[in-house]
Amino acid sequence: MRALLSTIPVVCFLALPLASLAQSIDYDPRRPDELKSCDDHEYRGREGDAQECYTRVLNGPYTAVTRAEAAWRLGDLQRANRLFRDAVRGNQRLIHARVRWARLFVETHQYADAQTLLREALELSPSDVYGRLALAHLYAERFDGQAKAIVEQVLGEDDRNYEAHLLAARMLLEEGQLDEADASLDRAAKSTPDGLPPLELYSARATLDLARGRDSATMVKNTWVTRALNYNPRYGMVFDDLAHFEVMRRRYREATPLLRKAIEVQPDLWSAHADLGANLLRQGQIEEARQHLQTAYSGDPYSPTIVNTLRLLDRVDEVDVSSNKFTLPASGETASTDVEILLRLNRKEAGALHPYVLELARDSVITFSRRYGYRPTEPLTVELYPNHDDFAVRVAALPGIGLLGVTFGPLVVMDSPSGRASGDFHWGTTLWHEMAHVFTLSMTDNRVPRWLSEGVSVFEEWRTGPVPGVVVPPEAIAALRAKKFLSVADLDSGFIRPQYPDQVQVSYMQAGLICLFIEQRWGFEQLPVLLRQFNREISTKDAIEATFKVPVKEFDEQFDAFVRQRYSTALARFDEWQRAATLARKSVEGEQWQAVIDSARTAIAIFPEDIASDSPYLLLAKSLDKTGQREQAIDALTRYRQAGGWDPHALRQLAEWLEAAGQSMAATEALAAVNYGDPLNSQQHLKLGEQWLEAGRAEDSLREFEVLLALDAHDPATAHFGMARAFRAQGDLQASRRHLLDALETAPHYKPAQSLLLQMIEERQE
Amino acid sequence: MAAAAKVGTAVKRWATGDRLLAAGKARAASTQWFFAGAVLLASGVSADTYSLVVSGLGGEPGYEQRFSEQAEKIAAASRNLTGSEATTTLLTGAKADRESVRRELRSLAAKAGPDDEVIITLIGHGTFDGEQYRFNLPGPDLTAAELGTLFDALRARRQLIVNATSASGAVVDSWKREQRLVITATKSGGERTATRFAEHWVSALTSLEADTNKDDIITATEAFEYATRKVTESFKSDALLATEHSRLSGENAGRFQVARMGTAARVTSDPAMNEMYAQRVRIERELDAVKERKASMVVDAYYDELEGVLVRLAQLQRQIDAKQPAGRE
Repeated sequence: MRALLSTIPVVCFLALPLASLAQSIDYDPRRPDELKSCDDHEYRGREGDAQECYTRVLNGPYTAVTRAEAAWRLGDLQRANRLFRDAVRGNQRLIHARVRWARLFVETHQYADAQTLLREALELSPSDVYGRLALAHLYAERFDGQAKAIVEQVLGEDDRNYEAHLLAARMLLEEGQLDEADASLDRAAKSTPDGLPPLELYSARATLDLARGRDSATMVKNTWVTRALNYNPRYGMVFDDLAHFEVMRRRYREATPLLRKAIEVQPDLWSAHADLGANLLRQGQIEEARQHLQTAYSGDPYSPTIVNTLRLLDRVDEVDVSSNKFTLPASGETASTDVEILLRLNRKEAGALHPYVLELARDSVITFSRRYGYRPTEPLTVELYPNHDDFAVRVAALPGIGLLGVTFGPLVVMDSPSGRASGDFHWGTTLWHEMAHVFTLSMTDNRVPRWLSEGVSVFEEWRTGPVPGVVVPPEAIAALRAKKFLSVADLDSGFIRPQYPDQVQVSYMQAGLICLFIEQRWGFEQLPVLLRQFNREISTKDAIEATFKVPVKEFDEQFDAFVRQRYSTALARFDEWQRAATLARKSVEGEQWQAVIDSARTAIAIFPEDIASDSPYLLLAKSLDKTGQREQAIDALTRYRQAGGWDPHALRQLAEWLEAAGQSMAATEALAAVNYGDPLNSQQHLKLGEQWLEAGRAEDSLREFEVLLALDAHDPATAHFGMARAFRAQGDLQASRRHLLDALETAPHYKPAQSLLLQMIEERQE
Repeated sequence: MAAAAKVGTAVKRWATGDRLLAAGKARAASTQWFFAGAVLLASGVSADTYSLVVSGLGGEPGYEQRFSEQAEKIAAASRNLTGSEATTTLLTGAKADRESVRRELRSLAAKAGPDDEVIITLIGHGTFDGEQYRFNLPGPDLTAAELGTLFDALRARRQLIVNATSASGAVVDSWKREQRLVITATKSGGERTATRFAEHWVSALTSLEADTNKDDIITATEAFEYATRKVTESFKSDALLATEHSRLSGENAGRFQVARMGTAARVTSDPAMNEMYAQRVRIERELDAVKERKASMVVDAYYDELEGVLVRLAQLQRQIDAKQPAGRE
């Protein structure tokens, strides 16, 4: 038992005011009777009476667990922790104490410790219902699919478990399964235990009403909200829950007044302060966000999300903000529209990234406005973070998450290319993907379901992005083969609560393929029509049926036939593809070039969309080059690029080979494409600057030399000299002279610059 | 020879760190060239640069070969810098034992006078046990304290010591002296992994990539910044956490030359050429003077004046180049 106990770290808690942390209602019938009268005061919002009652219990002749619960309710978490620990040490087979102690850890955001305690409890008693439900809550918090299985198991044993029904309903609400959530809440209502408050049931009912299309502005007068507040006038959680649901649906603007209401009703509801702070940040209201986060921190100093976000805000002066405006021309009946794009880039790399980020963001607005018939009505903001952990804090307030980019309405937040190793991700495609979200979210007032928003973004990556080409990884083909694709009506659950490791990635691909299917089957113009169905509250099933006039089941069947036809070769010969791809990789290691060529060609023929880092195209190109077949090697890399391949090393290699083969323009274009994958390479900009200049494209050349100057503080003379020549080619002799003198100021003996200076003087004298 | 002697005098003055050393940072770039040309012309007349390159114990054939090759390249760059075989000593392999290093350092102390310069480069593995740094050599190692005593015996006032070994950061504080530059591959004795610094230091000395002011001369600052940047990039490219962080301790590293290339590496005894070099020095001084006034000038006036001086410099350079084979273009 000591071993078990030793796994729990000693936690130092600080005393906090009563109700400082949002404690969920304890439905466990093992809750000590001595607490029940105190709980009643608490649940009814009679704060003074509750405090007096819990204090009496804390100082009374009761068990350590009972007193721990009282200390917890009084906000003395340190004492509660100590009492729980003493209780468990005193009786190593205590189960209920472990479960409750774990809940205390959950409240202080120490999820790993909570999980360890729950595992210990369940080792002692695997069937403990409230231990399992506590674990399910823990999983549900993290959107882990295991939560559902536990709840189903508990309800399978006892269909009248109130807490299980409530948790099931919450997960169903998050997934948009409204009818099922409604049924769960009905069953919960029939199972309400005597003496326990119906507050969470009322709150869930209110959320269901909101999900079914009630305007969030009217929720203050909603029946269930009124009932909750009649029961407990200090029950701010009812608004916090509503706001949580709005945030889940990316309706950040609508969540804000609900969070303000939560704080108004319950000023010490620290979770609502934290949520409001995070939500205001998403809307760019940094100062007010900071105030609420500081308030939240004053009451909940254990939350890493709050601390991390405040630390990030302390470094706000590291960001360079630029406002960039342009006009979308009039089209049909639509007048011309002014669009503003705010770029928030780290000062250290703003100069290097600004031209490319702005160009892509602007192109995306032009492209999506045209394709979807919608124009932005408010400024768009793009933020890039060179430190991935800062990005992770910005979007979820926790470092270490694996996302690349996130869109909050008109705000796009993503990793900077410097935030990851070269070749790790294609930042241009990520930005394109996120900008598509800006449109799908805005044009549906954030009602678009997750699958469709992701699907359109993936589809637009393929159709209009900086690296066109339909790219579906083998994992998606394997899932298709294993019949793991979901019905379109259920596809959101593949994103929200995945059931197998690759499911989120597979769901992205399936969503993209559904959009491709719509384009192929009904024409692209039906995709915006489908999107507009979500201008109102409507289920995916109803939206599909309204748009395409087919039952959703038939839609699924047609999509399945489409995708199976499209990938018929890969599906039929998947094992052969795997063998060929594996053999190609192994043969490269052994430098058996002919074997690589043969197997890579087989793999490409079966599944030409595999452009992963060890893609057969890359192995084929290398082997062909090694065997003196440079022309065919160029062809292999060209086909790789056409299929959507973007690996910076491969494209640089292609550019080098093309240059050597005398195909200068193709070489320059291949190298220029690398800027959207790996733009922070000074040699690349130097080369491109020279090549564009030689090709007579002075504007492109100038951009490359400007970036070189921003990127390479080590050698400004070269960049200034390049800019001098680019300006000269554009006919701007004054700017040319200035940059030429800047180059020579740094490097007075720079002979090419000296030559140009003398030439400039001679021309002036003529 | 009159001009050469005159320029040489100026070099000595600068090298000994009087009036010119007090000049602002802005003037350093061009006066470096002046110094380069002057030393070339005055070679053997006044100040000499002595170089000792030691590659220590590799421990395994791969390291042994790599360290030797790096040392040889640095020695070649030193010969190019000094224009003389005699002023560069290379110790590699079995010859690089403790006694040989001690002997060569004592010899340097005897040969190099106060106005000369000394560059000592140590390549290989170093260790640090928390108290004592050791440069790993075949047979007994040399400790930081022993090496420090030998360095302190050098009479040359301007010294550059490059310790590119692992754990080399441990020596910085104990080797620091006035007018001595100490460059180490690591920031402390705790960075114990075999270093990458030497590889990039070699590149800095043997290519023009490090030459940011395009004067064909690589200074200690340029080489250090280049090598440091390349080390950082190499770790980033390999997606590895950097296990070394180089350090530079000492003043005026921007005025300490470590390599010359192109026209800067050529020696001439032609009086007409020497006169042109002297004239170039005078224009460079004018250029420094203009640059020093930049902050107090109207922008357009500054560029007009700058242009005037730069045009004269370019015209003179054209004449110099016409009289000798082309350097870097």
